[in-house]
Amino acid sequence: MSEFLLEILAEEIPAGVLPGAREDLLARVSNAFAEARLGGTLTVHSTSRRLILVGEGVAERQPDATLEITGPPASRGFDAEGKPTQAAEGFAKAQGVSVDDLSVVQLPKGPYVVAKKTVPGRPASEVISETLPPLVEKMTFPRMMRWGDGAPIWIRPVHSVVALLDGLVVPLHLFGVESGRTTYGHRTLAGGRLIVMGVADWFAKLRAARVEPDLAVRRARFEEQARALAAEIGGEPAADATLFEAWSHLVEWPGLVRGAFDEAFLELPEEILVTSMREHQKMLPIRREGALLPAFLAVADQTGDPKGLIAQGNEWVTSARFADARFFWDDDGKTKLEDRLSRLGRLQFQETLGDYLKKTGRVQDLAERFAARLSVADSSSVVRAARLMKADLVTDMVREFPDLQGVVGGLYARREGERDEVWQAIYDQYRPASADDASPRSDVGAVVALADRLDTLAGLFGLGLVPTGSRDPYALRRAALGVVKVLLDRNWHLDLPIAISDALQLHGALARKREEVVPELTAFLTERLRFLLEKKGHAADTIEAVLAADARDPVDAAERVAAVDAMRKEADFAPLAAAFKRMQNILAQAPDALGEPDPAKMTDEAEQALAGDYLQARGMIDDLLAQRHFHDALGIMASFGPALDRFFTEVHVMAEDESVKANRIALLKAIRDQFARVAKFAEIRG
Amino acid sequence: MDLQSLILKLSAYWSSKGCLIEQPWDVEVGAGTMHPATFLRVLGPEPWNAGYVQPSRRPADGRYGQNPFRLVKHQQFQLVMKPAPVDIQDLYVESLVALGIDPKEHDLRFEEDNWESPTLGAWGVGWQVLLDGMEITQFTYFQQAGGLDLAPITAEITYGLERLTMFLAKKRSVYDIEWAPGITYGEARKQDEYEVSKYGFEVADPALWQLLFEKYEAEAKRCLEAGLVLPGYDFTLKCSHAFNILDARGAVSATDRVGVIKRVRGLAVECAKAYVASREAQGFPLLPKKPEPAAEPSDV
Repeated sequence: MSEFLLEILAEEIPAGVLPGAREDLLARVSNAFAEARLGGTLTVHSTSRRLILVGEGVAERQPDATLEITGPPASRGFDAEGKPTQAAEGFAKAQGVSVDDLSVVQLPKGPYVVAKKTVPGRPASEVISETLPPLVEKMTFPRMMRWGDGAPIWIRPVHSVVALLDGLVVPLHLFGVESGRTTYGHRTLAGGRLIVMGVADWFAKLRAARVEPDLAVRRARFEEQARALAAEIGGEPAADATLFEAWSHLVEWPGLVRGAFDEAFLELPEEILVTSMREHQKMLPIRREGALLPAFLAVADQTGDPKGLIAQGNEWVTSARFADARFFWDDDGKTKLEDRLSRLGRLQFQETLGDYLKKTGRVQDLAERFAARLSVADSSSVVRAARLMKADLVTDMVREFPDLQGVVGGLYARREGERDEVWQAIYDQYRPASADDASPRSDVGAVVALADRLDTLAGLFGLGLVPTGSRDPYALRRAALGVVKVLLDRNWHLDLPIAISDALQLHGALARKREEVVPELTAFLTERLRFLLEKKGHAADTIEAVLAADARDPVDAAERVAAVDAMRKEADFAPLAAAFKRMQNILAQAPDALGEPDPAKMTDEAEQALAGDYLQARGMIDDLLAQRHFHDALGIMASFGPALDRFFTEVHVMAEDESVKANRIALLKAIRDQFARVAKFAEIRG
Repeated sequence: MDLQSLILKLSAYWSSKGCLIEQPWDVEVGAGTMHPATFLRVLGPEPWNAGYVQPSRRPADGRYGQNPFRLVKHQQFQLVMKPAPVDIQDLYVESLVALGIDPKEHDLRFEEDNWESPTLGAWGVGWQVLLDGMEITQFTYFQQAGGLDLAPITAEITYGLERLTMFLAKKRSVYDIEWAPGITYGEARKQDEYEVSKYGFEVADPALWQLLFEKYEAEAKRCLEAGLVLPGYDFTLKCSHAFNILDARGAVSATDRVGVIKRVRGLAVECAKAYVASREAQGFPLLPKKPEPAAEPSDV
């Protein structure tokens, strides 16, 4: 068994593509090794300049393979005496085997001559030389580049390739670079070339040359250094897994420096300081008992900063940025949000849907309607928040920190003395940003968040600008998810088709008709509901059954899903589902029976018993469904089980007498329809 | 370190690496990339190595001389090498050493940052170079210019001169850096900044600039029809500058914007095509000469 090493040294690979590139490379080469019968276990490593594979237990050569090749039919291959014919001899010759190696095998199409052939395995090094280069050269990345004469295309130019099998060079070419045993250490901390003899030697020499190839080790070092540096000033590093991960991909030799900034900047809102540090500088804030300290941790691709130059540089950048932010904070404060509205008239929301001032007007009206529909009493706060919610788009702060849209508006509204309900609603308007994010903290915030998103969705669907595949330039999927999640989190019953119609009405004439847009957008929102319900752990077939029955009101649908899923754990459920399926099967063949079942026409005892149960329970089920006591309603439906069983055993639905038959179908249909108000149980698997 | 020393050191360094030291282009540009020594020379198969300072004008960045970082007119040191030498990153790091920066004492990182200019139909892939957390250089491998795929590939290195000087001198305001010993940037340029800001935001006559845009565009087309690449390109640059003035003045609506950018790009694309055709007609004179065929032995 052999050890294998592949190291591709390139110019700095974007941190964002490294996680995907690691997985992709590992999968490609592992599959290729398995297909080539080389086996072994591969591990992937990476740094900001390298992609690396280490293999253990790789076969030194492929095992020999036995192939069976089908030749002519046996009748043509051997004569009556069983001697090979010319045809058989020709076939053997073509396959490079002797006639003695031919045999007759019974195939589905009859007896055939078969040549058994042993293909000797080739040395692993030879196989790898051939298979590996195209696998690497054909890797795809979100943004590829060409270099040199313009021919090679990959993520960044490749400089050297180490390919060793048990310490021997596997000869291959990647983008014209010949493999060997030479590599290089850290760009600025190490000089000269490294000659490596094998996997262990490679790890040792790279580490001595200030390159830590193992991502997990780099990350652990960052965490350790962060804790130590923060502790020196009595603080703790912010817990920020995303940033630690990003740092680990940005360097080869992980280091951190701690810098300080002027305490006076702490007067600025924390959101702005933290965003400036995190998003612009990839710095980690330091806190003591939750409060920010005037210090930060900055990533460096090296350890140690004896002259303090690295810390000093980062401090200079931070204070420049904070000074900018303070300038914006003060300067933006000179113009009230209210007075910025006219400038929204010059900011385009969407070519056909107009500018942000028009959007603000629509959202204000829509939010007021929703407040009424959802019985949110504080409609004056709703209208006020909707009016001011987009004004921060024309502030310098948001131009500088686009991620803080909404938050900045909220902070400014608070500074201007707006009520808590109003500034918080503005602050929270983009929440939830994902399925895991919280909804706005108040009813007012939730209403304006809904109105803003439904205005966007209805308008763009009305223009036919619907997301396709991975293309979703207006982030409509996220907007739709936000709508559904806010409704679920608030437990608000809103009829989606009605809400969409409200929004469309405010848009006025759009390219597409309301009759097209309403069902399409409802279905789009229902898909997000399905996603959220699956994420909560509900069974996919339960969700399907419930949504197929009625998905207009997401909260109602979610409650039905919960009730059906709970019911599925109970003994009564299986007979209920089975009965539903039987009814469904019969009704599928039956003509549409109209009218109520008539007890007077019921001749059979089992039929009368079922009708009796049904008529007695009908009112109760109606009441329970109206009060959304779905579990109780399902319990009553399940109690029909014995009567239904008996009916199906004793009663022949398709009776000779047409009126008796129609009446029986009407009875089943009435019961089925009653059940189907909760879910189409036929969708549920056994 | 003062601004002037920085320029002299960078020029001397890249000159020593075989680059031709060009002078700034004498038409208003928004970035050093627009100098013909970059935009046109990256096209076609001929090798090209050049460096130059380019003052760039961005009217929308005007702050009346009040903001310590933002300027209408700032300067870049621009370096292009085609084809990019294999060790171009090392050459770049060495240029920092030439400026007195010891990379072992600092943190130097190349973080992904791609570049795109819709008006030039150009884009590239590369990094921002961070020194101790400060962006000091934009490093780009040009992929397309004037809508044409490029081969061989040019490396473009752009040093922001004011920022770099501020950083090296650890000054809080661009106006406090020294341009040359004894004279600050503020003393040399602050009043200019006030005036060009005021002009761009308040005084520029939108009707005139609109008219100029149309005239420049028409003249660019006329030049290109006459087979005059460089004059055509000059008027394309003037269109781009007219657009920037109109934009700063708030005279371009969001809808118009897309259309105007498309018109400038249309010109840039025509210039690029015409340039390649012209160089080809001249036999791509900068391509390495093929060895002369051995002379026929002649009778004496």
